[in-house]
Amino acid sequence: MAIINQATKELQVKIVYYGPAKSGKTTNLEQIHANVQVPNPDSKGKMTSLATSSDRTLFFDFFPLEAVAIKGFKTKFALFTVPGQVIYNATRQIVLRGVDGIVFVADSQYDKMEENIETFNHLQDNLKALNLNLDDIPYVMQYNKRDMPDVAPVEYLEFLLNNREVQVPQFEASASQCDGVFETLNMITRMLLHKFLNDGVRSR
Amino acid sequence: MPAFPALNQEDIDYFDRSLRELLTKSEANVALLVEKAGYLIHQCGNPEQLDTTTFATLGSNAYNAVQFMANLVNETNFTSMYQQGENFSTLMVNVDENSLLVIVFPTHLTVGSMKYYAGPVVRGICERIKFASARGDVVDFSDVDARDVQALFNKAP
Repeated sequence: MAIINQATKELQVKIVYYGPAKSGKTTNLEQIHANVQVPNPDSKGKMTSLATSSDRTLFFDFFPLEAVAIKGFKTKFALFTVPGQVIYNATRQIVLRGVDGIVFVADSQYDKMEENIETFNHLQDNLKALNLNLDDIPYVMQYNKRDMPDVAPVEYLEFLLNNREVQVPQFEASASQCDGVFETLNMITRMLLHKFLNDGVRSR
Repeated sequence: MPAFPALNQEDIDYFDRSLRELLTKSEANVALLVEKAGYLIHQCGNPEQLDTTTFATLGSNAYNAVQFMANLVNETNFTSMYQQGENFSTLMVNVDENSLLVIVFPTHLTVGSMKYYAGPVVRGICERIKFASARGDVVDFSDVDARDVQALFNKAP
């Protein structure tokens, strides 16, 4: 959960990019890191990737990013990815600890639908194991790889993945081209900050 | 799981005094108070050569992972973790459910002495966090105009 430090006037928030293997979670972070405009170099931290020798995320990718002050509080976003491969499910649960907002990165290709659904179900299970509920956490859907051949229509993806009581914002993306990446990031940060504006931030 | 409390200046001053005292007594280089979700709460020492934000994140996740491992073999009493280096070593000590103390020290010092000096500091910080939690501070943002929170991040042209 978000950390607030009234002494240093800092609000720290954790956003996790979650999704099946090779759906583009790490690419999202790489594109943000490479392309984000920052007021000064210190606003963007170093990107850390704990990956296998074949560049698959083993534990997580991470980088910190500062945004404008809200009511005098400097907002620090910690952006994480989880490993996509099912064998690392325990690791995903560890990375989800203290999560404030989630971007679910789905692979739009038809042959990835089963993995998308399975991973979305794992997300809910992993949150439950941490005594968290997806309904209480701001999250958005990103339908990635729209530039690939044989992608499912967005309506189909919505039916499969965004068919809960409350539909969340969804974005089409081609993260490798940086399309839809910033739109997704800005929506989840807005949702998070609006939640803080509405609820205040307290020890829970 | 209760979350880490909102902190005020007195809390930070307490952490600062405690970590400085630890460094003085133990001769360690750096002490970090870290929330287990990966946030760096406070740091003391000489961290110029160290990216403490990344160090805190890696440390907390490593600790969480090994704790998870220990739980799998029904080891519930998991209170510290040690990385032995050639020049510098790192000791991570559990403070409470939500936070850790991370100490970086030169290898000519022993991990036993670090644990000895860390013990009272950890207990003190734990009590201070309980005190802050009981205080239950709320930061009210309700007077902020939500329209100000639009696109926070822009892509470089």
